[in-house]
Amino acid sequence: MAMRQTPLTCSGHTRPVVDLAFSGITPYGYFLISACKDGKPMLRQGDTGDWIGTFLGHKGAVWGATLNNEATKAATAAADFTAKVWDAVTGDEVLTLAHKHIVKSVNFTQDSSCLLTGGNDKIIRIYDLNQPEAEPQEITGHTSAIKKALWCNNDTQILSAADDKTVRLWDRNSTEVVKQLSFDMSVSSMEYIPDGEVLVITYGKTIAFYNALSLDMIKTVDAPASIHSASLHPDKDFFVAGGDDFKLYKFDYGTKEELESYKGHFGPVHCVRFSPDGELYASGSEDGTLRLWQTAVGKTYGLWKCVLPEELVSENSDTIYCTPAAPEIKA
Amino acid sequence: MRPHVSVLRLPRGPAPNGRGFDPNSPRFIALCPTTISASTETATDSVQIREEQRARSALRESFLRTLIAMTNKQVQFHMYERVKVEAKFGASDIDVLNFQISELHTPIGVQKEALLRCQDVISYSFDL
Repeated sequence: MAMRQTPLTCSGHTRPVVDLAFSGITPYGYFLISACKDGKPMLRQGDTGDWIGTFLGHKGAVWGATLNNEATKAATAAADFTAKVWDAVTGDEVLTLAHKHIVKSVNFTQDSSCLLTGGNDKIIRIYDLNQPEAEPQEITGHTSAIKKALWCNNDTQILSAADDKTVRLWDRNSTEVVKQLSFDMSVSSMEYIPDGEVLVITYGKTIAFYNALSLDMIKTVDAPASIHSASLHPDKDFFVAGGDDFKLYKFDYGTKEELESYKGHFGPVHCVRFSPDGELYASGSEDGTLRLWQTAVGKTYGLWKCVLPEELVSENSDTIYCTPAAPEIKA
Repeated sequence: MRPHVSVLRLPRGPAPNGRGFDPNSPRFIALCPTTISASTETATDSVQIREEQRARSALRESFLRTLIAMTNKQVQFHMYERVKVEAKFGASDIDVLNFQISELHTPIGVQKEALLRCQDVISYSFDL
């Protein structure tokens, strides 16, 4: 008997959640950081959604947030023209990197030694975190605001997506463009999967998958509504997407079939990402909440508990309670 | 009608005050054995650590005493964007994130009661 999905709602933000990122799996579990227009990015325990702390310091909307693999450092990009690096254990601000315009994207290298930033000034910057006062390396070329800049190919190359409707692959040392993709419309999101070198790009109602090294297209899938963000499961069997119609969609990666759709958010979905173990995915919305969704609905994991049919009618089930999924309220 | 997946509890939300990062969490204790560190180098010598902790305690205590001394006094605040305001200091919150003040004199009038965001303050001064 298939169970109905119960998303876990993480509250706390007071404005739309525009970006989110998971850390790698650490000895203390994995973690989740959320970027919010209220200027206060938050760190949460990844498998439960429990709040751990809020990074205080930005004076404007935070557009991008990321964690390093060990979840010991966090970086945020904000509308106050700065990117900040934080100690993700103490919550202290470690570094402020001044930019000349709104910063939209931040990304650590695998060893956390360098930080990549990109934003409305159209320039990609590489900061050496061991020499923060040194001038960053700059990569120019984009003709519009950069939405996302990511390290790829073992941190030897950089992928960037901008409002100039291009996705560009750059060589880190020469700072030259290696390859470029052009689209008819602006790319809404980009996800890079190092294992297998897959690039997930969303634009309009399309979720597109590319080989991250060659930028050859693997496949495209169209969703029922305009998609803002998508994420591929680590095992590459599913992918999830969310956008304008407030719903989360789950697709089979192999057959491109739409498997499920989930209601729950009260606003457009801006970001969605699978956890590093693939057991859940998190979505951030215009409604100011993050929601955690199970990949295998009904499985015992995190705060979700598998209840056998006999237990449902048992009288000893006082520690178990059901919370309904989508309240089915029409906005 | 299909049953909904059961949930043990809902995710915990932010604490009402403070910014979190519990120093008693296992992760904090394991990864930050000493939050005492000089501005650049980490002091490995235990005598140095003790000295630094003593200095930090003294500075912290005198800061807290200034907050007490400031109560109900007129304080001038220098803030970002070349803002200079004066108000009667009431109290600070536990993390020194906000100051509760009264009779805040601003260029556009006097605010009877206000909360000043500490991160916006560059410096403040008052007469003892």
